[in-house]
Amino acid sequence: MRANVVLMWVLAGYFLVAGVLYIVWNHNAGHPFDPAPTLTILLSAGLSGLIGFYLNAVNRSQGGILLPEDRLDADIDDGDPEIGYFSPWSWWPFILGLGGAVVILGLAVGVWIALFAIPVVLIALAGWSFEYYRGNFGR
Amino acid sequence: MAPVVSRPNPVAVGTIVWLGSEVMFFAGLFAIYFTLRAAAPEMWASEANKLAFPFALTNTLILVSSSFTAQFGVFAAERLQARSTGWRPSQWGMVEWFFLTYALGAIFVAGQVYEYAMLVSEGVTLSGNAYGSAFFLTTGFHGLHVTGGLIAFLLVIGRGFAVKNFGHREATSAIVVSYYWHFVDVVWIGLFLVIYVLK
Repeated sequence: MRANVVLMWVLAGYFLVAGVLYIVWNHNAGHPFDPAPTLTILLSAGLSGLIGFYLNAVNRSQGGILLPEDRLDADIDDGDPEIGYFSPWSWWPFILGLGGAVVILGLAVGVWIALFAIPVVLIALAGWSFEYYRGNFGR
Repeated sequence: MAPVVSRPNPVAVGTIVWLGSEVMFFAGLFAIYFTLRAAAPEMWASEANKLAFPFALTNTLILVSSSFTAQFGVFAAERLQARSTGWRPSQWGMVEWFFLTYALGAIFVAGQVYEYAMLVSEGVTLSGNAYGSAFFLTTGFHGLHVTGGLIAFLLVIGRGFAVKNFGHREATSAIVVSYYWHFVDVVWIGLFLVIYVLK
């Protein structure tokens, strides 16, 4: 993960330098200060720095235990751990998508339609979040 | 002999990457605000005086304190303690801390609704002028994020009640919701400084 951290910090440094360069160059060319591009370039440094900072924190909390891709002696299947719990099938994403689509439709053509769809979104959110917390498959 | 390898939690890393994209979303909103302000400085001078600074400062402190209570909830979740073992805060579980966080966040949103009503009564509206558009777009999208965070806290609290054995998977949802909450809190500090302090 060391390489990933360094890459993110290199990106952050690049955007920081590019942002400062942009401000100075823009000023020297006689243009008024333009906040939109300035902020976007500088906060791109924030975007990269945030991920770099977090990966670095994760890397240190692992106490020197490396990822398989960071080790020369690792085998392919070391990089194939259990990566999470995934539902084999579920209707909830479909219902959530449907509800979200109708909310957006309502915002476009008439707010009253969205008012009917918001409960569908909330029910789908709750249903999806608690799908494996109740009934036969409850944890 | 296979080497001992470790994997970062994909939910936590994924949340941080998504929060990176949220940084850029708010970058767009800040850019809108600054661009409009640069285009109409005299409008800012007159309209920004209608803001109630002490009220906004109080609301800000409430939101910032909710980040601390959320973090104490995370510490409880990391000890895998969902519920309290006594009335003292040191014995609280994740559920109690997150309920307190929820209350503080709800006070913040209610305070913002009150502030919006005050501003509208003074003629600052979303469609009224550039200042109103910039103010309500930036603080409004932030308020929607806070509201989304409140719903997320409810879902995590619900899981704390529903689960038979509070484990690392439940702790992970508590941790990533706290990441989101801290992020929204930091964005508000930025908005507060830009809108209420810099004026």
